[in-house]
Amino acid sequence: MMMERRGRILLVLIAMVAGLAAVALRLVHLQVIESGELGRRAERQQERLVKLEPKRGNILDRMGRELAVSLDVESVYGVPTEVENPRSVARELARVLRENPADLERRLASDRRFVWISRKVDPARADKARVIDPKAIGLQTESRRFYPKKTLAGTVLGFTNVDNKGIEGVELLYDKELRGTDGWVMAEKDARGRTVFPGGHGFQYQLPQPGKDIVLTIDEVLQHIAEKELDKGLAEAKARGGVCIVMNPHTGEILALSARPAVRGRGAFNPNEPKRHRPDEWRNRAVTDVFEPGSIFKPFLAAAALEERAVHPQERIDCSAGCIQVADRVIKDAHRNGVLTFTDVIAESSNVGTIKVATRLGKARFFKYITAFGFGKRTGVDLPGEIAGLVKDYRLWSGVSLGSIAIGQEIGVTPLQMAAAYSAIANGGTLMKPYLISEVRDPKNVEGSKAAALPVGRVVSEETASMLQKILRKVVETGTGQKAKPASYTAAGKTGTAQKIDQRTGLYSKDDYVSSFVGFVPAGAPKLVILVMVDSPVGAVYGGSVAAPIFKAIAEQGLTYLQVPPDDLGGRMLLVAR
Amino acid sequence: MSTRAGQIGSLPFIDSNGGSLRRVVIAALVVAGLMVYVAGKVQIMRLGYQIDDLEKQKRDLERMNRSLQIEASSLSAPSRIEEIAVQRLGMVRPAKDQIVVVRRKAGDGASDDRRASARRQEHQQQGE
Repeated sequence: MMMERRGRILLVLIAMVAGLAAVALRLVHLQVIESGELGRRAERQQERLVKLEPKRGNILDRMGRELAVSLDVESVYGVPTEVENPRSVARELARVLRENPADLERRLASDRRFVWISRKVDPARADKARVIDPKAIGLQTESRRFYPKKTLAGTVLGFTNVDNKGIEGVELLYDKELRGTDGWVMAEKDARGRTVFPGGHGFQYQLPQPGKDIVLTIDEVLQHIAEKELDKGLAEAKARGGVCIVMNPHTGEILALSARPAVRGRGAFNPNEPKRHRPDEWRNRAVTDVFEPGSIFKPFLAAAALEERAVHPQERIDCSAGCIQVADRVIKDAHRNGVLTFTDVIAESSNVGTIKVATRLGKARFFKYITAFGFGKRTGVDLPGEIAGLVKDYRLWSGVSLGSIAIGQEIGVTPLQMAAAYSAIANGGTLMKPYLISEVRDPKNVEGSKAAALPVGRVVSEETASMLQKILRKVVETGTGQKAKPASYTAAGKTGTAQKIDQRTGLYSKDDYVSSFVGFVPAGAPKLVILVMVDSPVGAVYGGSVAAPIFKAIAEQGLTYLQVPPDDLGGRMLLVAR
Repeated sequence: MSTRAGQIGSLPFIDSNGGSLRRVVIAALVVAGLMVYVAGKVQIMRLGYQIDDLEKQKRDLERMNRSLQIEASSLSAPSRIEEIAVQRLGMVRPAKDQIVVVRRKAGDGASDDRRASARRQEHQQQGE
């Protein structure tokens, strides 16, 4: 009996010892052998590396007015490993955040440790989402891009994606400067899943470096004037699209740049809603598209001929035939002219007179000036996707090329190249590099880095430029550009009506044109160069009827805004003594 | 008769009422110390959460401030101002005949200089 009892006690003791030994072994296993891995796993569960997104820099106009800004908003994320019932959580989240419940459920049921639920949402909605499952749902502050002026300068500014990466325009080209540098902080999670920043010794963090502000040369008011008048003109002409550029001819600063889509009825690009526009509406047609300039190219033939003394402004040229044979092609004038001075050849836009002078000048000399004025080369402006245009080497020109190019055919230019070339005529003969960014402002350094006017080179002498200015002034006073004359100001410029190539036949279309006007105001002391290009107007197609009135409206309002004193008031000037 | 405790009387604070009291005091001090320590820790945690809440409030206010700035920027768009000026206030651009340019006569600057110099001389004479 006693033995039996002892045996049972022994058995229990052995069982207890074995149990304790097993526990001890397990403890040793956990605390010694697996301690490293388990410690790391615990750290992973308790610690969180919180990415600190830098504030993206603002884009401002030349007067410091905000065109693109960032605002802090909340993004909702989930930790699938912490979700007990993905279906019900997904359903509730979908109701609050207006997301697809099936998609959310799929994401929450995954074995990942982090998934985005909804990015950049309204803070009130984000708070509601957070309380659905505080352990599994968290919020992350991110910045969202806003363009407070909506469509104003939309194609210049471009836009960013949901990760604040520049996709188009200045946002793309200056993404590195605007973006700044990411920061991070090692945070801990408490029992309720809340993020706690421990602070004190060993607190690991790196602060984000905010992005730089970009100051444009664009003037918000001039941009508004240009866009408003271009839109009005395009609507009246029932045109497919158009471009307007306003430049300071002395510095190359682009003061306004508006490019409207090449599809009738499509609204201006709004960078707040890029997905509502087709990708071809994002691009800036002023630098990405070429067009045959037509008669607005004639002043460059005139510049070359005058500089090379191949013609004199008052030399009389017989244009009475109304047409001219160039190789196998007959080129006609739009209107029958008689004997014209060379000034009137340009003022009346005579193809016959222009081609006669071009023939006298020759291919090589003409080509030298075409390239000197910047055609066939990128201007280097601060916009993505700029193309060089289409200018063939003169050694590849056919028999008809000299005559065609003299009247602006067989050559492809960008609107910006054209505006820059007219600026050279307006400022006395120096080609300036057009630019859009006047300053990159570092938040830590108030001075920032400022851009300066950059002369590309002298293309014609001051004397030639002055002769050209007088010729272009006559275009507006008595020639084809009379509708471009602004009230109270003198103006100079040139009209253009270029036939477009018919895509089906490959020949020049008889009813599809690009109507344009380029010029400068005031004619005597130019302050602004304005280019207006209207794509495929319906009805009236001449540049003098379609584009010139838009030029006039922009010039009048622009000069008044800049407080440029009128220079053509017809004697209504009051002289006073102080 | 001596107690069992009395037999190990070499241990301090054992064999008297004063010894018991001392033990209680020490224990109380230890407990109090622990309580102060824990209370401090709890207070730190509580302050941490308070800071967190205040930070959130600050962030919300900053966000609201920024939103208002953006709204102001949006409302000051030239297109909106022009619309209000023209449609609501009935403003129009001045016509050509409504503009008079006022320019100073040539040589005015020189006569100004002469007048200023005469005034200076006058002051000097008065001073003497």
